[in-house]
Amino acid sequence: MNHHHHFVPDFETDDDYVNVNTNSSSSSTLPRKTIVGEQEDDLMELLWHNGQVVLHNQRPNTKKHPPSSSSSSSAVKLHNNNGGGGEAPPPPLDHNLFIQEDEMSSWLHYPLRDDDFCSDLFFPAAPSSERQTSNQVTAARPPVPSTVRPPEASSMRPPVPSSVRPPAPSSVRPPVRNFMNFSRLRGDFTAGNGRGESGPSISKSTVRESTNVNPSSTPSRESDLTRRTDGIDSGGTVDIGSRSVAAGGGAYTNGRNPKGKAVVTTEPRNENHPGTSSSVASKSEIEPLIEQPETIVDERKRKERESVDQTECRNEEAKQGRGSTSTKRSRAAEVHNLSERKRRDRINERMKALQELIPRCNKSDKASMLDEAIEYMKSLQLQIQMMSMGCGMMPMMYTGMQQYMPHMAMGMGMGMDMGMSRPPPPPPFMPFPNMLASQRPLPPQTRMGGSYPPVHASDPSRVYGSNQQFDPNSSQAQYPGYMDPYQQFRSPSQPPQFQNQAASYPSSSRVSSSKESEDQGNQTTS
Amino acid sequence: MSNRRSRQSSSALRISDDQMIDLVSQLSQLLPEIRERRRSDKVSASKVLEETCNYIRKLHREVDNLSERLSQLLDSVDEDSHEASVIRSLLM
Repeated sequence: MNHHHHFVPDFETDDDYVNVNTNSSSSSTLPRKTIVGEQEDDLMELLWHNGQVVLHNQRPNTKKHPPSSSSSSSAVKLHNNNGGGGEAPPPPLDHNLFIQEDEMSSWLHYPLRDDDFCSDLFFPAAPSSERQTSNQVTAARPPVPSTVRPPEASSMRPPVPSSVRPPAPSSVRPPVRNFMNFSRLRGDFTAGNGRGESGPSISKSTVRESTNVNPSSTPSRESDLTRRTDGIDSGGTVDIGSRSVAAGGGAYTNGRNPKGKAVVTTEPRNENHPGTSSSVASKSEIEPLIEQPETIVDERKRKERESVDQTECRNEEAKQGRGSTSTKRSRAAEVHNLSERKRRDRINERMKALQELIPRCNKSDKASMLDEAIEYMKSLQLQIQMMSMGCGMMPMMYTGMQQYMPHMAMGMGMGMDMGMSRPPPPPPFMPFPNMLASQRPLPPQTRMGGSYPPVHASDPSRVYGSNQQFDPNSSQAQYPGYMDPYQQFRSPSQPPQFQNQAASYPSSSRVSSSKESEDQGNQTTS
Repeated sequence: MSNRRSRQSSSALRISDDQMIDLVSQLSQLLPEIRERRRSDKVSASKVLEETCNYIRKLHREVDNLSERLSQLLDSVDEDSHEASVIRSLLM
């Protein structure tokens, strides 16, 4: 035995210090001495956790007994002061010393609080990223000297996260307070966040929750669904609204998760929100210390940006303690990438929804799909115009409309009385009867030249009528362009006489065809 | 990873940003809401796409309504009149 004193640490024999401790209680055979120092009679006790000294009893200054003396983990428990004499076997400090010699000195000289230690044990166990843990730990313990914290956190982290989270609290019995915190954190993890909620994120989630509640409280009519400008779940609203249109607002309400509880939603993204808000809302306390940049993933749109900003600030604060700007930059870039990815995902999701809406859309290219969407929208607008005019015209057919029909048949061709026009000036759903009523006394010729921009105004009877009294060919030249975008979306039962001309159009690009029609329309009226 | 990213965004790059911007602006022109509500060019693409989807659904509903009305009208009209043919053609 090469120990000169009871408490002189012996580095060579640290391997089997455990055995020594358990086997021999006599001080004479103990090579393990603890602190360099002079505590002949001081009772030394070290708490071990996963092979590291967690707490040690200060020397002459403070003889505090670690309250959670039994909180040490599977490591050896030192019952030095369990009634043993002054010759109690010293705690196996040298083991720790051997590993972290540099830290021991700081440990020795720094009075440590229990809660700090235990809290750090639990907090690092929670998050999956060690780096952030250190940040949080560093930021969490302002009073603690930074010199002590980072090394001890870093040292403690490797063993701690290695253990699975659930077993961690069970293995170590912390003070009740910290245990509660950890359980709270665990509840957050199980909620699907993977991260403990921090104050700001909690406040944000509560804000989000309240915002979720508000829209749901409003009458969930379809018009509200479609007109929603709420930025939180607008993406989800669109998709949910499409599915719940028939069901009214019920599905929408469910999808919106008004109560903030975990609700099965059609949007996978919403899961995080309910989980987050529910887990957070159910927790009475807030852990301001645990703060994860990953909460950004759970937030959306401006909430995302808020969290990003705040998290970035906090990360920067934490990093300033470390003094590394590179991590700050990388973190900012990482955050930016996350937000960018979310934006792209959102856009892709909308594109997919749009693709579903457009009939016979087999385009995988975004640009062509958007082109088709534009054409489809125009054709829909025109179709609705025509139909509304037809609806308004039909009742008047018997009254006084017959006089107009022949005039239109004369090849004036524009059917301006139909009032078809390009979308811009009049709304697509412009009521035709109104125009007609105002112009009825006018001769059709005047109406022809009238206020409407030329074009594709087409007489439905001329275009589609099977037993047309008019010459379809004459009218054909006038609105082939109109026919084209419209035809492709209609059922293929078009009158055959239009197929020849229309057939040529699908081959051409959509945009050019619509321009063509406009030109032709212009020519006819000029 | 950079290769993957370039491949992922290559489809968009092929289109070119200008093209996308042009298309988005076209859509925004068509959409009455955006046209009336915001004159700025700050409309995000996702917003435009969302409004497009909403607008198309609205148009669908309108078409359905009009179709229903036209079919009702058709019932009230003689089968052989040319109005009936008109209506039928409208309804397709």
